[in-house]
Amino acid sequence: MSNALKQSFDLSAFWEYRSILWQGLIFNALVFLCAACVALSVGLGAALFRINRFLPARVVGTLHVELFRNAPDYIMLVWVHFVLPILIGLVIRRRVEFHPFVSAVIALGFVYSGYFAEAFRAGMQAIPQGNLDAGRAFGMSERLILWRITLPQVVRRMLPEALNLFISLFKATTIVSLIAVPDLMYNVSMVIQQEMRPLPLYTGAALTYFLIIFALSSTARAFSERWRQKIQA
Amino acid sequence: MRALHAKLSAPIFMSDVPRIRIAGVHKSFGPLEVLRGVSFDVQHGSVVSVIGASGSGKSTLLRCINYLDPPNSGEIYIEGEPLGSRIDARGGRKPRSLAEINAMRRELGVVFQQFNLWPHMTVLGNVIEAPIRVRKIPRKEAIAYGEECLRRVRLIDKAREYPARLSGGQQQRAAIARALAMRPKAMMFDEATSSLDPELTDEVLSVMRELAVDGTTMIVVTHEMSFAREVSDRVIFLHAGMIEEEGPPAQIFEAPQSDRLRQFLSKYRK
Repeated sequence: MSNALKQSFDLSAFWEYRSILWQGLIFNALVFLCAACVALSVGLGAALFRINRFLPARVVGTLHVELFRNAPDYIMLVWVHFVLPILIGLVIRRRVEFHPFVSAVIALGFVYSGYFAEAFRAGMQAIPQGNLDAGRAFGMSERLILWRITLPQVVRRMLPEALNLFISLFKATTIVSLIAVPDLMYNVSMVIQQEMRPLPLYTGAALTYFLIIFALSSTARAFSERWRQKIQA
Repeated sequence: MRALHAKLSAPIFMSDVPRIRIAGVHKSFGPLEVLRGVSFDVQHGSVVSVIGASGSGKSTLLRCINYLDPPNSGEIYIEGEPLGSRIDARGGRKPRSLAEINAMRRELGVVFQQFNLWPHMTVLGNVIEAPIRVRKIPRKEAIAYGEECLRRVRLIDKAREYPARLSGGQQQRAAIARALAMRPKAMMFDEATSSLDPELTDEVLSVMRELAVDGTTMIVVTHEMSFAREVSDRVIFLHAGMIEEEGPPAQIFEAPQSDRLRQFLSKYRK
């Protein structure tokens, strides 16, 4: 085995810096959780716009989805962090600066809201009209129907796709080091600058991400399948 | 004798205001005129069956009665109260808001051809949902009455099951219990047995028969002629969006007046 290859599997350097790397990972988790909340709520809003009866609302919803689904998250991140504050500053005539964490959450949250909107929309349109008719016939308001009949079924239907989106979103949190959010990748780069041993550190980071995502997603998948099966014949 | 007379006259007095009055209902979908002026009354505790060929407007009529498809003109009255509009202080008519229509239509229980149970809730969950969320009945009370309704349709042992695990007949009985749980002023059945296998229709029809015997006010759209004949107080034959003939079941089935009704019934006699 070549020396370099051996080095790449020697993860002792990675282990040595575990506390600072652990802190970075917590940042990844925080960015993920906040961005997921933004993506889910904005995505649901956009989906409701997309299936609205009124044309202007549908246009706004469609524009939202197309804009954010087709924008690379990397570019969105840079744009939100460096351009958006200037634009806002021009409007309110004051210097504005975003905390890198805020920029990361906004950028990733909005990019993924485009994908979540499509998942929500597909789920809502798959609900049989009779389900909604039954709600209306018993005097339920449209809001009550949305919360009690539509969404609980949509969530079950879109779970497999939502899980994939969550996995992508978690992976996407690795690019936030670009705007100096001190996440795992950012801390790894810092350590590499000091130690000059990129092989074990990058390999360690890759393994860490793999293990976390693999463990979380297989657990979530097992739970979601059991939950979904209850309502399927 | 006087007491007996008083007892007998009570329902006659109540029948002054029909439970449901359908007055001149028109409904079109684009250029297609589905209902062309349908009017009839449903008295308290009576069963009215609506028969007619496919496409005669039967299901649309039910959807108009509870405003799932609001009629283009005409009005529905529930115990004298117009469903789609209200009389304002100056005596003029104002269309009701969606919220007001919701409050009115909860008085009509609907049983759909396709059951339309909510698949993510248990049978009992389906039954108590609207009483709790719409009628704001305390949960405990709603469960107690919901279980009573499930007993009535002989489904209490399936209360904790999800609809997907029930047979079609059981699902339809659960849907009947769900409608009963709202304590509606009238029940409407939209071809309640049409999507069931023949061996499952009897269990649903027998539940409906019991409701009729118990004095439930019912509008029944059906293809089950023997059921309509046995249970109804009045039968309405709908043809091309209009009432072609109506009367007591004996007259409709034994001595039909119009050619169209004779023709229609002959298909069922074969």
